[in-house]
Amino acid sequence: MRLKKLKLGFILFFLLLVVACQDSGNETTNKSETTSDGLTTLTVFDSDANPDWVEEMETPVGKRIKEDTGVLLDPEFDIEGGQTKIPLMIASGDYPDMIVSKGADQLVDADALIDLAPLIDEHAPNLKKMLGEDGLNRLKWSEEDPSIYVLTTAPVDNEQITPSYGAWIQHAVVKELDYPKIRTLDDLKNVVKEYKELHPTIDGQKTIGLTMNTDSWRIQSSFLNSGFMMTGGSDDGEYYINPDTYEATLHYRRSIEKEVFKWWNEMNSEGLIDPEMFVQKNDQFEAKLASGRVLATIGPDYLMANPQQALREAGMEERMYGVYPVTLNEEFKNRSYQSNGLQVGWGISITKDCEDPVKAIKFLDYLASEETQIMLNWGIEGEHYEIKDGKRMIPEDEWEKRNSDKDYLKKTGIGFNFARFAPRYGDGVLDSTGQPFTTNTRELAIQNQTDTENEVLKAYGAELWKDLFPSAEEFPVKPWGAAYNISIPANSELQTINQRALDITKQLVPKATLADPSNFNVVWEEYMTALKNVNIDKAEDEYTELIRQKVELWSE
Amino acid sequence: MDLVTKKDITKKKSRLSVFWKGFKNQKMLYLMSIPFVAWVFVFNYLPVWGWTMAFQNYIPGKAFWEQEWVGLQHFIQLFQDERFFLALRNTLAMSFLGLLFGFTIPIIFAILLNEVRNSFFKRVTQTVTYLPHFVSWVVVAGIVTKMLSTDGGIINDLLVGMGILDQPYQFMADGKWFWGIVTVSDIWKEMGWNAIIFLAAIAGLDPQLYEAAKVDGANRFRQIWHITLPGIRPTILVVLILNIGHLIQIGFEKQMLLSNPLVIEYAEVLELYALNYGIGLGQFSYGTAIGIFNSVVSIVLLLLANGIFKRYSNQSVM
Repeated sequence: MRLKKLKLGFILFFLLLVVACQDSGNETTNKSETTSDGLTTLTVFDSDANPDWVEEMETPVGKRIKEDTGVLLDPEFDIEGGQTKIPLMIASGDYPDMIVSKGADQLVDADALIDLAPLIDEHAPNLKKMLGEDGLNRLKWSEEDPSIYVLTTAPVDNEQITPSYGAWIQHAVVKELDYPKIRTLDDLKNVVKEYKELHPTIDGQKTIGLTMNTDSWRIQSSFLNSGFMMTGGSDDGEYYINPDTYEATLHYRRSIEKEVFKWWNEMNSEGLIDPEMFVQKNDQFEAKLASGRVLATIGPDYLMANPQQALREAGMEERMYGVYPVTLNEEFKNRSYQSNGLQVGWGISITKDCEDPVKAIKFLDYLASEETQIMLNWGIEGEHYEIKDGKRMIPEDEWEKRNSDKDYLKKTGIGFNFARFAPRYGDGVLDSTGQPFTTNTRELAIQNQTDTENEVLKAYGAELWKDLFPSAEEFPVKPWGAAYNISIPANSELQTINQRALDITKQLVPKATLADPSNFNVVWEEYMTALKNVNIDKAEDEYTELIRQKVELWSE
Repeated sequence: MDLVTKKDITKKKSRLSVFWKGFKNQKMLYLMSIPFVAWVFVFNYLPVWGWTMAFQNYIPGKAFWEQEWVGLQHFIQLFQDERFFLALRNTLAMSFLGLLFGFTIPIIFAILLNEVRNSFFKRVTQTVTYLPHFVSWVVVAGIVTKMLSTDGGIINDLLVGMGILDQPYQFMADGKWFWGIVTVSDIWKEMGWNAIIFLAAIAGLDPQLYEAAKVDGANRFRQIWHITLPGIRPTILVVLILNIGHLIQIGFEKQMLLSNPLVIEYAEVLELYALNYGIGLGQFSYGTAIGIFNSVVSIVLLLLANGIFKRYSNQSVM
């Protein structure tokens, strides 16, 4: 009797499972349909999570969008980048109307997406305006198939407030030395040397001249990248791309970079760099900087965020860092702000299951229009911001809410809630009235700086660190984007050679840096030979070919 | 006539029928073992099917019959790679050091701890020494790096303070120290844990043997030498054979977390190599080839060790 009951239980359980599976199956086939209040429902799958979404778009901004477009979005947000759900869709052949993916290779292979090029051409003036001819060109899939399957959702012409790479020097150092000129590596060396001699200890601990964060992958973004950043290269990963011939060279093989690493070697022999530089872990690096006894470091901005924050919270404003556009000599310019052009690859697609693609593209175009972009960043006029003397202003109490109410975006619908579905204007881009689209403005950034920071900047004749750096206008947009974004065919020889070269580099460049100065040339030669031995010439040729293909595809 | 045939049949059938008889008697036991047999089959035998990948240019997402077969190409590539031999050298060096010290020290520790009279001290020591086993390597690596740091690290402070060194020494930056650092930190972490099995074996020895030895006038060392050690010999041998089987599979966490660019020549081990060049580059076939090499060498070592010990000591794990 008992056994029978158990059996029955099992059967019921299985039935339940089957029903449950079918149910969820039905859900994904939910196609565009018209709701009772005359709105067209568009289903969309988004690879990223969104805790701020409000069902039926019942927020001030969401309501306005519904009114303007007659579209009701029915989104599904994923938590793992669509890694499982997208292959499942492909396997079942059921797609939502739109998919936001992180790389659409599988979807394209399965013929799930429709070509957006004719739709954009006919129905999307705002998208055309935002992306421009060059941007649209970059959206092309490949040489063989120049269709547009993915509309990028990346910011356009984004210009970040904090420079992305430079030499970071303590405010106390430049202040005490009466704001010396800091432009070249030798200037940096002298400043560090002078201050270290004046103050052999800081707060009772030994002063460290210069240290770097070289823990695992970070060695590339800080130390190894100094090779090209100090010699007027822009960040293309491990390769330097000649802007005229598109020839790719493993950047360490440029003869000029030997000078940079020779400088590192000199720094070491003069005892100005931290002996633990290549040994320490990330947390040790951050702790050292936060203790206030490291005079300078070189690297990208994102490795500085934690220590800067810690120093600020500890009230050690003088020990915080300013960032300077240092290069090997004055011939070269720091290219932190050189534009890579439109970033493509991740974005939104319309599937073949969408019944009204024109409606969908018009919706995306609406999101990209100037008015919508302003609304997505600032909110609704009179409600979330005001216009004073023709300028957008966010009232004090609204700012307060923005900064402290964690549900602000959920309540208003501002920000990434809708901006995520279409390309958007980045920080620093101005609208037709000359005001920035985003709320991350210069004024706000200046307001957020410490008094010490403002004092130092004033002495150097600037308002923001950005002002010390060569601006984006000084450089052409890179026609190949950022080389590290170009995907290398899996299982290719190029991929293996790259890995080998990186292994050798991580081993021998630090060795050369720490070598006895008389021995530097020998170690460097050893390094160059080791690279030759792994057939780096072949990798460079293949890489050049990849770059040229990309440039050709994008410039047609 | 009748009788003879019957006997023949029973003889032939006897083994099977004995099994059946046993099976019928113990059918509940067999039934209960099914999940575990299935578990071993699903998780330990089915994945061996994945070895076919090593002979293909495997591309994920494609069906099995759509893959391109390349024969031994990946193995040839593997054996032509200098870096592979470097990784093999490091693996063997560190695993032999680990075997030498990581195996003997827990035994010595267990015996010494057993000789301690104060049972409170004994228990506290045992607990304290096995706790590090539960600390993650990430944390251990952090502690080791900090202790060996030239910037306020306790080891350097001590050595300089005692006048042994004039200046702090960069232990972590010198390749020749790396194997030692790995071995020592491994002993620190696992000594107490590995000693548990020996302590248990010692506890199982008959106290009458010790009493008899005492009567015969054996001192403590004689007792250890003639009673404790021979008593736990079977345990020692079994653990040793199993350890030899794992010689080549020493994991990669320690090496990955303790190494830095300056010592990588001494730190890259096979599994790290498989991770970087196999999975890291999406070369699943190449990674599988390295995995097969690892497994085959392990099995050969295990069988060899087992055979030798079986021959000389009648001890065996199989």
